Amino acid sequence: MEKIQMPRAQIWYGEVVYWLCLVSAMICAVGPVISMASIDNNIMNPFAMFGAIWEGKKAAEVWKIAGGGFPGGHFYLKNILAGDGITQAGIALGCACALPALLVAAVCFLTEKRRAWLWAVLAVWVAFMIAYSMTSGGPPSH
Amino acid sequence: MKRYFKSPWREMYVMLGIIAICYVAMMLISAGTETPPGAPISAMKICGLLLGFFLLSFGIALVAVIAGIGGGVLFTPIMLAFTSVDSLIVRATGLIVAMFSGLVSTGLFMRQGLANLRICIFSAAAYGIGAFTGAKGAIYVAKYLGPTGDGLVRIALGVILFLLALYFIIGGKKIEWPEVKKVDGFTKWLAFSQPYFEQSLGKVVDYPVTRAWLMLIVIVVVGMLSGFFGLGAGWAIVPAQNLVMAVPLKVAAANSGVLLGMGDCVAVWPYLLMGAIIPMFAAPWLVGQVVGGIVGALILIRIKAGFVRNILIGIMFFTTYGLVAKGLNNMGVIGEAPTWLTLTILVVVVVGIVRSVIKTIKAQD
Repeated sequence: MEKIQMPRAQIWYGEVVYWLCLVSAMICAVGPVISMASIDNNIMNPFAMFGAIWEGKKAAEVWKIAGGGFPGGHFYLKNILAGDGITQAGIALGCACALPALLVAAVCFLTEKRRAWLWAVLAVWVAFMIAYSMTSGGPPSH
Repeated sequence: MKRYFKSPWREMYVMLGIIAICYVAMMLISAGTETPPGAPISAMKICGLLLGFFLLSFGIALVAVIAGIGGGVLFTPIMLAFTSVDSLIVRATGLIVAMFSGLVSTGLFMRQGLANLRICIFSAAAYGIGAFTGAKGAIYVAKYLGPTGDGLVRIALGVILFLLALYFIIGGKKIEWPEVKKVDGFTKWLAFSQPYFEQSLGKVVDYPVTRAWLMLIVIVVVGMLSGFFGLGAGWAIVPAQNLVMAVPLKVAAANSGVLLGMGDCVAVWPYLLMGAIIPMFAAPWLVGQVVGGIVGALILIRIKAGFVRNILIGIMFFTTYGLVAKGLNNMGVIGEAPTWLTLTILVVVVVGIVRSVIKTIKAQD
């Protein structure tokens, strides 16, 4: 099989996303076990939560019934030892994994022999959109 | 044999081991947990649901990665048909389903060279602008467009997609490996070229691309439509890359997965920050997508482009049905499409895909 050398930015982008995604999935596999092992150590009671979801309740109602209200999207930061806190941290890590990967890719574009400024700027632009989305909050239009 | 001890197999074994331990542990814990009086659901039932979600997600990810679409196209109708889960929770979890198979397959596609990071970043930058504009403009334009206008746009999109699907049927090899006669100056300046080793052909493939300026416009429009209507975009991004830029079909499917993963990292956060993603409910879907995404990527790297074309055609027909049905409903011509009809069409499409894939395998033998 012929070996083709891939550009460094491409390899690094792929590797960062891939490994962060795997770590995120592992955390999300373990999180629900912790939730079930210590029912009281959760933001939301799993029995009430699944019951409410299955009854077709809206997201805000589910949080209210099972956890007394939505504590904010980054609630895992203050509840990292809770079962669903760990799970939410795993989800958040996965949902943000393209951000560091794009920044690493931008650095690679700039350290190539022929600096690829345009691609570095575009990578930073997409990374900025993710960062903005992570911090701006608010409900989507749809 | 040695390759089964290298990446990504090594990670797969670790992942599968952790998942097996977690589910066995959860079953044992659930069996020993007393369900509180008055609880609407038992611990064992929760455990069964989590396992079912994981398995279903794994299957969806396989198809999604091979076709280069977001798994939401399959997830959303299934969940809305079989469960009473609120539609916002379904859509928010659908984004997790749509993005994670694309994200995890990114690593394998990038190493292999099947995906092209420059095309992905180029498309993501344009798509993001379009999606943002579309989402922001949705409320404003809806005042003028009204349900009839919305319905007409959806039907028009459905007709375009139907025609594209027909073209994909008759296009054959021209679709799988497009020929480029002339590369324009702008595309040349962007330097997209990136040869890779195509395993199904056993040789290095260097594919020239063209018309990047037109692709820019098309992707902005696709992004706008996607943001405006809240539609997934995989079904449009693969044909757009293939027909406009002449990207080979397998590369277009791989790029689409990478792009969806990248783009949905922007789209998912508003849902996460408003509480529409319930962690314990979404987690098994995420894990299933990651494991299924790796397996799907390994399959896509090895299969012939004809497989991808067959799957994509089926999904295009199914999406056409969804667009036309919703469009006619918005115009008041028909009522809400019945669940049994949607599922019947989904089953017919799946059977059609399986039949054509079997036919392709037989023809190759």
